[in-house]
Amino acid sequence: MKKTQTMKNLTLLLLLLLLLTCHLSPVLSWKKDEFRNCNQTPFCKRARARNPGSTSLTAQDAAISDGELTAKLVLKRIEQQETTPDQIKPLLLTLSAYQDGILRLRIDELDPPRKRFEVPDVVLPEFEGKKLWLQRLSTETIDGDAAPSSVVFLSDGYEAVLRHDPFEVYVREKRGNRVISVNSNGLFDFEQLREKGEGEDWEERFRGHTDKRPYGPQSISFDVSFYGADHVYGIPERASSFALKPTRGPGVEESEPYRLFNLDVFEYIHDSPFGLYGSIPFMISHGKARGTSGFFWLNAAEMQIDVLGNGWDAEAGIALPSSQSRIDTFWMSEAGIVDAFFFVGPGPKDVARQYASVTGTPAMPQLFAVAYHQCRWNYRDEEDVEQVDSKFDEHDIPYDVLWLDIEHTDGKRYFTWDRMLFPHPEEMQRKLAAKGRHMVTIVDPHIKRDDSYFLHREATEKGYYVKDANGNDYDGWCWPGSSSYLDMLRPEVRSWWATKFSTENYVGSTPSLYIWNDMNEPSVFNGPEVTMPRDAVHRGDAEHREVHNAYGYYFHMATADGLVQRGDGKDRPFVLSRAVFAGSQRHGAIWTGDNTAEWDHLRVSVPMILTLGLTGISFSGADVGGFFGNPEPELLVRWYQLGAYYPFFRGHAHHDTKRREPWLFGEKNTQRMREAIHTRYMLLPYFYTLFREANTSGVPVARPLWMEFPSEEATFTNDEALMIGSSLLVQGIYTEHAKHTSVYLPGKESWYDVKTGAAYKGGKTHKLDVNEEGIPAFQRAGTIIPRKDRFRRSSTQMVNDPYTLVIALNSSQAAEGELYVDDGKSFEFQQGSYIHRRFVFADGKLTSLNLAPGQTQFSSECVIERIILQGLSTGQKSALIEPANQKAEIEQGPLLLHSRQGPTVLTIRKPNVRIADDWVIKIF
Amino acid sequence: MKHKMSFIATVLCVLCLLSQSILRSAANQFLGIAPEDEKYYKSSEVIKCKDGSKKFSRAQLNDDFCDCSDGTDEPGTSACPGGKFYCRNVGHAPLQLFSSRVNDGICDCCDGSDEYDGKVSCPNTCWEAGKVARDKLKKKIATYQEGVAIRKQEVEQAKVAMAKDEAELSKLQSDQKTLKRLVEQLRERKEQIEKAEERERLQKEKEEQEKKEAEEKAKQENSGGEDQEKTKAEEEAKKEKSEDVEDGSAEDKPIESQHDDNVGNLDDSHSYQEAVKQKKESVATSEPDFDGGSKVPHDEGDDASENTESLSKEELGRLVASRWTGEDTTKESGEVDVTKDSDHEDHEELPKETHDEQSDGYASETDDDNQKYDDEDHEDEADDDFGVEDHSDSGSSYKYESDTDSDLSDVTTLSNPSWLEKIQNTVRNILHVVNIFQTPVNQSEAASVRKEYDESSAKLSKIESRISSLTQKLKHDFGPDKEFYSFYGRCFESKQNKYVYKVCPYKQASQEEGHSTTRLGSWDKFEDSYKVMIFANGDKCWNGPDRSLKVRLRCGLKNEVADVDEPSRCEYVALLSTPAICLEEKLQELQHKLDLMNKEQPHAHDEL
Repeated sequence: MKKTQTMKNLTLLLLLLLLLTCHLSPVLSWKKDEFRNCNQTPFCKRARARNPGSTSLTAQDAAISDGELTAKLVLKRIEQQETTPDQIKPLLLTLSAYQDGILRLRIDELDPPRKRFEVPDVVLPEFEGKKLWLQRLSTETIDGDAAPSSVVFLSDGYEAVLRHDPFEVYVREKRGNRVISVNSNGLFDFEQLREKGEGEDWEERFRGHTDKRPYGPQSISFDVSFYGADHVYGIPERASSFALKPTRGPGVEESEPYRLFNLDVFEYIHDSPFGLYGSIPFMISHGKARGTSGFFWLNAAEMQIDVLGNGWDAEAGIALPSSQSRIDTFWMSEAGIVDAFFFVGPGPKDVARQYASVTGTPAMPQLFAVAYHQCRWNYRDEEDVEQVDSKFDEHDIPYDVLWLDIEHTDGKRYFTWDRMLFPHPEEMQRKLAAKGRHMVTIVDPHIKRDDSYFLHREATEKGYYVKDANGNDYDGWCWPGSSSYLDMLRPEVRSWWATKFSTENYVGSTPSLYIWNDMNEPSVFNGPEVTMPRDAVHRGDAEHREVHNAYGYYFHMATADGLVQRGDGKDRPFVLSRAVFAGSQRHGAIWTGDNTAEWDHLRVSVPMILTLGLTGISFSGADVGGFFGNPEPELLVRWYQLGAYYPFFRGHAHHDTKRREPWLFGEKNTQRMREAIHTRYMLLPYFYTLFREANTSGVPVARPLWMEFPSEEATFTNDEALMIGSSLLVQGIYTEHAKHTSVYLPGKESWYDVKTGAAYKGGKTHKLDVNEEGIPAFQRAGTIIPRKDRFRRSSTQMVNDPYTLVIALNSSQAAEGELYVDDGKSFEFQQGSYIHRRFVFADGKLTSLNLAPGQTQFSSECVIERIILQGLSTGQKSALIEPANQKAEIEQGPLLLHSRQGPTVLTIRKPNVRIADDWVIKIF
Repeated sequence: MKHKMSFIATVLCVLCLLSQSILRSAANQFLGIAPEDEKYYKSSEVIKCKDGSKKFSRAQLNDDFCDCSDGTDEPGTSACPGGKFYCRNVGHAPLQLFSSRVNDGICDCCDGSDEYDGKVSCPNTCWEAGKVARDKLKKKIATYQEGVAIRKQEVEQAKVAMAKDEAELSKLQSDQKTLKRLVEQLRERKEQIEKAEERERLQKEKEEQEKKEAEEKAKQENSGGEDQEKTKAEEEAKKEKSEDVEDGSAEDKPIESQHDDNVGNLDDSHSYQEAVKQKKESVATSEPDFDGGSKVPHDEGDDASENTESLSKEELGRLVASRWTGEDTTKESGEVDVTKDSDHEDHEELPKETHDEQSDGYASETDDDNQKYDDEDHEDEADDDFGVEDHSDSGSSYKYESDTDSDLSDVTTLSNPSWLEKIQNTVRNILHVVNIFQTPVNQSEAASVRKEYDESSAKLSKIESRISSLTQKLKHDFGPDKEFYSFYGRCFESKQNKYVYKVCPYKQASQEEGHSTTRLGSWDKFEDSYKVMIFANGDKCWNGPDRSLKVRLRCGLKNEVADVDEPSRCEYVALLSTPAICLEEKLQELQHKLDLMNKEQPHAHDEL
């Protein structure tokens, strides 16, 4: 008896041990060793070892030519200095100015033995049209320099300065403070292409992989300083804090630089400078003193960026303007050229606009794409699809898109179907379409090397694959086994690829089918660092090392083009991509990859989405529930509650996980998830309006608080809350069994709890009670949010439903907001076919103003059925609608129709004014 | 007939249009209200929201503006998110829709009443749909009628069989008592005989010894001391040994082991300890593996990732892919991985398994008379313990089925009343006849005592094993009417693509592919008031949970498994048709439903 007892104890103990190791395992699961750190990356190691002030280049022959400032960077002739063999030829520097305060700096070799790679098709073609034709160059001797500097006009209030010796480029306010500078710390280094020396070994080896590096060292590194900056942000993609922490400097624990190298990282951890699936070499600085500025380096090679902590250069003795707070950063890239853009701001939205004028604004998605997506690896067969679809209806939970992962194909041959599981794909899609729903299938860039597969045959015949270092079609390993990868850098390959999406070519597809591009980093299971070898060759003249970070971008682009073509230019594409590069916003949505069902991953989704938004990628989201692992119901509910505010809202799960559709966790949890999803549907008009705002201005849908409150220091490092547009502030609950949470509400105006209607003062942190029914969300006083309160199966059925306007008045009894409506599908909005209203409430009057220029062909019968007034100081009783001269009642109504015990608020009952019309509603 | 139909259609269309125009002017105020609710709405001019939150005027009823948060005021529109819309569907069954379906452009009610804003036209299909539904319902009722009858029979049979089992059990128990006493007597007698024999032998020996000694003494004065002692020692050793053998053959231990959990696991506990030790070691030595394995996707551990350099390109590709898929990387390494995996399983399952063994009654089966089955079952157990995923031996479920047959044959032999009496008589005779005080012992008598003892104790152990298996069987939950009694000892099979699924209620469920068997779970319990059978703790899934199977039961005439599915990884579901759940009440319910549908039928004609 005793024996069994001890044995039981032992077993318990062991079980406990097991559980413990279970918990630890995610930390251990990231295979750090399989990826290179800076020390294992020779160019990074070399660059990081350089000391401030070691640049020995001076700018010479500065002149204006073709409206640009050009100069040569020449090695200083100083007797005692050793001449480094790789810097003997001069470099060509070009500075050009563009409208709206954008300076472009290009530095390349004058006459290289091989053309260095310039990233094509990222900068908008129309951007060149915004170039200012520089007329003259003035010289100015600054701060007792030996030689004068060249100064050119940039924009009203800003000038660009080229300091000749030591060479330095910066933007400054006219005759005043600096904004951004390059090489102020003298770290600039440009490894020029050269002949291989006797006995020199250029090969690099890593974990059994050999990179031949036939062209030798060619890296570029330089320092960039941001002035008046309190923090820097941007340079996705990684799971880390929103405000970038210093990676070097006194008191900074020596860490890795931020890495930008698109990689398929298995089970990434939630706090690491390590790069993930995407790379956008765009950094934004923000400070109370000056505002916002940005720096973008268009370069697709591996990049490593250090954020240097205060005093990192204590021993360098370089004198920089000390009156301004400053953040120094250090940028290193393996190849390419310097093609950098300075954005002067000065506001956060200015920088967003300026950056968008270079790389484009986010594409306008179809309405359905803004709604809820249901995904799983995998919905197995047609029956499963039908089941899941009908369960949503059974539980009155709306959704718009059902997704099929890789298992739907015939042996991972994309554009094919496993006919055992999906014998009638068209019929399946039509059934969904009959309910206004859509389907998304996955199409990845690895092509199965199978001679009976049409895609492989054609690509082989046409020579469309990326080549290996020996000139053969590169053969890597991915889902289908042995695979090759299309050379998407080549426009002709992209157009060929695009034709594959026509309903004729994509057998089994219908017009309601859209596409998901996964694994496009590209992920290569047996490649170095799970990607393509750097010495693989694109386009015959570019090495993969030069193209890498943009590979997925071109693939995404080609797929999106394919869908545009399929719809004859009348149907907006929807393509979700995992890899991302500067400009990806033009092609579709992005998600943050294979996250894990853990609270920390829920938490880090916010800075990740904010960072993507800040760097142009507005349409992004994290897998709701977490891809790996099984979320506890509470975590899943919390994820839905937050995910409902992600610009891209999709539930997804790994195939080893338990089913987690919203109705599987008991009625209470079903109700919570239903409400979260309903919240998204209710806010669709608001979201859609924000997507249009992003589409026109580059300002993201999900914003950091400081984008709306740029001078409030308390918001600068806040990455637990996010602004949805300018009117909603949302904060997730990131811990288990939370009873309270603290929410900082910025600004001077009040905030209204969207569920209770309670008002909270701005400019302070509130400690709030929380329950499982929802997460904190507030409407900012002074705003008007359009909603559709009727629930439907999908967004498609909501088109004709009436609107509700929620007005939250500010302290001066005023508010305003916008509503954008179009057909939700086509490109006709680009011809002005839309409704765009501004609602202004002031002086006891609500006015609907037209923001759409000229006549619009788009009309809508939709009316406003309800206007909710919050924060009205006097008790008005009725409303008069003009010009119809009709009366409407004002009564107490619910803030949210579906909440049983919700608060009542002043409501204008059935004004029934058309959203397409001009009108005024007076209340008295 | 055709004419009539088209006439009806036209009339319906006209009605439809009429009602639409009426509704648009908001006159059909009572749209979407269930007949039983009409009074509620018509009784007064001011109506209460059902949740008591508010009141609204008759004019606000269905005015396309939500006044009650529960939707009371908008039964016929989509204005309230929480509302319900009632369609009468004359000719078919009425339907309650979520208000989100009203005027959403999709025809939900067969009478089309949910779409009246003119954006789509929904033809009335209730007539056809109703007919289809009624026919379906009729078929279902027919099945139920027959099923209920079968079920009744089965319930009767089960009652009889169970009574029989219970009678047998109590008979066996009393037999056991008697037999035990007899065996005891026989043993005593046998021992007495043996003692007597021993005495006799010793006596004889002594005599011989003395004789010998005397002889030797006479012969050689100084020789024998050592030899003598040696022989004595030998004798003693012999004696001890024979006592041991006797003890061992007393057969008490294994019998007790069935009843006493602790003792029963004496043997097990040894291996158990060992396993625990193994586990400890493996925890200590292969920690990284452990982490990876318990985490969702498979992890090769640090060691393995260090080794990737030595892998071929293809192996590396497979290896990295396997992180996401959790599948075998290569066929060669597959085997290794399986053992690795089964290690994990081992550790996690050991305690559970042992527990199961104790409560599930497998132990008793191992003691079954039939030696052949005995061995097989032991093998099975061993398999379970070591968690080998791929059983090389298939078809064990059949044997399970045949268990009952052998049981039945046992019942006949064992329950024969004359049998025990015969033994009793024999024993009495023997005991009576054998005179233990007689010297020398009558050899034939002694032999018959021994034989009788051996036979009786064998019989006793058989009875006891039978008692234990019956007790185990009767412990099971056979449903409120014992309707699942006949499931005991049976397996139901279903072939789906390359797999054969075997569902053996009260035992286990498995999936077979060729020669490999995967255990989907051991019998756990019924759920959802006997509508679902749960099999849990099946073979561990790589990276997934332990396999499990949920079998949903539905009324059918035959016991048939169908539609085995795996909605989540390693969580299986299946459907079992069986008369066992064809309930009378449900039949009445269905009949009532049909009556209702039929009742509306002529009514519909009248209306037209």
